[in-house]
Amino acid sequence: MSDIAIRVENLGKRYQIGQAKSGDLRSSFSGWINRLTGNRNGPLEAQTEKEFWALRDINFEIRRGEAVGIIGRNGAGKSTLLKILSRITEPTTGRYEINGRVSSLLEVGTGFHPELSGRENIYLNGTILGMKRREVKAKFDEIVAFSGVEKFIDTPVKHYSSGMKVRLAFSVAAHLEPEILIIDEVLAVGDAEFQRKCLGKMDEVSREEGRTIVFVSHNMNAVQNICSKGVFLHNGLIEYKGTALETITNYLKKDSNISYNNKFNYQLNEYCSLNKFTFSDENVELFGNILFNIVLESKVINPISSVALLFYNQYQERIAIIDLRDSRLHKITTDGSLVNISGEIESVPFVEGEYSIGLYIASNLCVGNFTDLLKIHIVGAKSSMAPYPVNVRGIVELKSKFEVDDKA
Amino acid sequence: MQRTVVDAGKGKLSLNLRELLHYRDLFWVLAYRDLRVRYAQTFLGLFWAFIQPAATLLIFTVVFGMAVQVDTGGIPYPVFAIAGMSAWAYFAFVLNQSGNSIIGAQEMVKKIYFPRLVIPLSKAVVGFVDFVVALLFMAVLMLIYGVTPSVNIVYLPFFILLTIISALAVGIWLSALTIRYRDFQHVVPFLVQFGLYATPIAYPAKTIIASLPEWAVVLYYLNPMAGVVEGFRWSVLGVDALSVYSYISFGLIALLFVSALFYFRKVERVMADIV
Repeated sequence: MSDIAIRVENLGKRYQIGQAKSGDLRSSFSGWINRLTGNRNGPLEAQTEKEFWALRDINFEIRRGEAVGIIGRNGAGKSTLLKILSRITEPTTGRYEINGRVSSLLEVGTGFHPELSGRENIYLNGTILGMKRREVKAKFDEIVAFSGVEKFIDTPVKHYSSGMKVRLAFSVAAHLEPEILIIDEVLAVGDAEFQRKCLGKMDEVSREEGRTIVFVSHNMNAVQNICSKGVFLHNGLIEYKGTALETITNYLKKDSNISYNNKFNYQLNEYCSLNKFTFSDENVELFGNILFNIVLESKVINPISSVALLFYNQYQERIAIIDLRDSRLHKITTDGSLVNISGEIESVPFVEGEYSIGLYIASNLCVGNFTDLLKIHIVGAKSSMAPYPVNVRGIVELKSKFEVDDKA
Repeated sequence: MQRTVVDAGKGKLSLNLRELLHYRDLFWVLAYRDLRVRYAQTFLGLFWAFIQPAATLLIFTVVFGMAVQVDTGGIPYPVFAIAGMSAWAYFAFVLNQSGNSIIGAQEMVKKIYFPRLVIPLSKAVVGFVDFVVALLFMAVLMLIYGVTPSVNIVYLPFFILLTIISALAVGIWLSALTIRYRDFQHVVPFLVQFGLYATPIAYPAKTIIASLPEWAVVLYYLNPMAGVVEGFRWSVLGVDALSVYSYISFGLIALLFVSALFYFRKVERVMADIV
């Protein structure tokens, strides 16, 4: 038995651009007439020039039990690749083979019908996702229990809250038992709680024996956590493939837009601007130190009462602030002069991941939270033990000491 | 271990019928969904499946039975008409439903793989419930008017099957064509209305054969349901033996059905991209 789960050879997908998605009869007629009369200089030729290759020369192999992250910028061809692998659309060139039963979760709750009850929708959604009716039946109680909507299972889904709907849908999806799971990050929309649940479930699935995962995401943290291998797509071509970490590093290096650790001449409002806002490094090791520098400018007299740094995690939750109030700040009433604040954060305790940094400013003419100004990555510190996955480690790492005495 | 191979250069002509069988559960579940949803929150429920043919029958009886006095070969007009109408109503239903069926299911089509043929096929099952109601209605009318079924009734299952195949043939063609050319959304209602009169439902087929020139009769039987309705009535009531022309219809059904499967397969390849 082959231990290759997915083998892709010279895969390509071409789209026509500029052309109406589903043709109308008139343009088709003129196409036919042109073909019949041998007139090749008509609209046909113009069409071929508008081709667009969403994917080209894609070659890779995924072994059984591997979790592979597909990364790349928007429009790099990630979703097209998933659509081809999950057979939603067919490739223009090349071939691929898949050994094993595939389930693709490109969106939870596909095919839910509002008029049907929760019970009926479980059967409907389960069979749409490729389960047999008896498989759904066997897992029915488990699915219902996991979703937590037992009481409303015979109520039409249209009366459900959106949260209940999502829980029910995810619960069905979570109980599929495919050998190969194809997941798009759209799965990870929803509230923070739901995202965590999805990522947690995937992490669990990926650790099970023999389960192959293809995962598309912008969330490097999730990719690093779940996947062992990575494929970096750029403009429809494979730019890099290798281990997950190598691929991510390559991606971050290539894509300069990802580096957000400095900002210059950023207009906060009509009076105030941020002349400079920088962090000394984009990648910070856990418990490492980092320098910051803020330079504020105001065109008119504008006394500042407070400034604070705001830290947000990937779920847009504020997890920490640094209070930069100072009596000297009070004395400055900027009128063309600059306010320069610089400092160092010692021993940054955030768990690995991407954090966005904002500023809170309170002054006469400029007040408010200015979020998403910078981004930093916290990367894992070297340690003797393999760290637990990020999703079980909470928000901050506590510095601690302990001893185990085996003689007592 | 399930093995899937997709090759852009090959398999253009394979219909993948085995895979279709694999997805039969989905097919039943979709049909069940449509049935449930159709009569959800209606007061009369399945009774609507009876009201529609009954209303048309009433009009036909007044216009063609009483006013025009069509020659039915001694059969009470309501029985004569319903024998043709039950098959036609099913055909019309499947046409109406399957034409828009893929567009209606586009959320699924864009997100999940399954043989797309399941969608129009499930519509044929949904319509079959109404078909059965109409057949029962016919049986009741025959009882009321004291019409005994002819011995030809042993052929009825064959003509029921032929009705289904002919509805599917046209339905599958339309569902694939509508994806490509939305113009067909406007064509279908027109086809159904036109077909109601271009099919021997309200009148016997022999009137057409007797009064039209031969080329027009051939044209008339290019309507697949012309032969089917004629055969349907022959098997139930025993009047008007099948004309030779009806074999034009039967041949056309076979041709349409096979070509529909292949054309659908061709469109299926790009369905998610153009829907």
